[in-house]
Amino acid sequence: MSTIADLLSRALEGFETLAATAEPVADEYQYVTDLGTVWKARIAAVSAARGTEAAPAGADAAIEALVAEAGLVTDPHRAIDWLSTLPQIALASIGEAA
Amino acid sequence: MRFQDARPDGRAIVYAHIQADPLVARAADLLAAATTVQRVLARAVMNGESGDPATWRTMFPTLFGPVAPAPGDPVRDRSEAILATSLEVADRGEQTRSQFRGAIVEALTERLLVIRTAPVKRERRILFDGRPTEIHPYDVTVERDGAAEAWDCKWGARGIKADVIHQLDDARRGAVEENGRLLVGLVVFDARRSCEVRLVREKGPVALDALKLIAIEGLDRLAGRKPA
Repeated sequence: MSTIADLLSRALEGFETLAATAEPVADEYQYVTDLGTVWKARIAAVSAARGTEAAPAGADAAIEALVAEAGLVTDPHRAIDWLSTLPQIALASIGEAA
Repeated sequence: MRFQDARPDGRAIVYAHIQADPLVARAADLLAAATTVQRVLARAVMNGESGDPATWRTMFPTLFGPVAPAPGDPVRDRSEAILATSLEVADRGEQTRSQFRGAIVEALTERLLVIRTAPVKRERRILFDGRPTEIHPYDVTVERDGAAEAWDCKWGARGIKADVIHQLDDARRGAVEENGRLLVGLVVFDARRSCEVRLVREKGPVALDALKLIAIEGLDRLAGRKPA
């Protein structure tokens, strides 16, 4: 069974995929970097606090669907919007506030 | 300080058709009574790629999974209705859905504000004696004597730009110069964490304590209530 740390680690892979898709938008480089800083810190904090807990029911499939959705995003502008949304969904799936 | 209807230009006339679409009203009505996670669902679906509702149900186990309320429960029914409505918006195509999303945030803001205060109006300019008139109207205003408010509404944190912040702050300062008071702020249908990093970069010399930020997690504050 997956732990919360496992799921958050997979969510971060989805985040990195989106960041790579967003890269061509040079004007938003700083914003994308800032999003990475604050959201990775938030996810690391949750992982440190609850990482060893077993993932709640449905969360495993939720993260799998979430990362797959992130992989479908090809438009760099939409990827930037998703950099904000992906962590919220990941955290909601384990019952955490953003 | 006086409020005035915006002079309609070509963009406003086209946008008025979007604002009047029943889909906008339906989405805003649902989101006005939604929980934060239901609002995140709406944001994700309206901005998403997948058109299959099953994908989104899987992604939100606390709304649709084994721990969620059973079908027939009002909360579960609202989640289903938000999902269906959001998919309708997403299905409109990239340019149109972008306009719909903006209109939905404005309509949602209006609905939440009227729970707390009145009168609430849309697309209004604010005039001050001896100051040039701003061209762009404010999305939603509260035109109450002594407790006026002006809100700009954004779908995402990327909509927070220096010119928007400065326009709001100019209006606030205009009211102060007339010995009045105008609460100004941004309503952003996006995560607070993302809005804050954007705001810090875009604010320039504007003092952030003079500008309210209402993000997706705190929308119920517009209605004077705690998040559902």
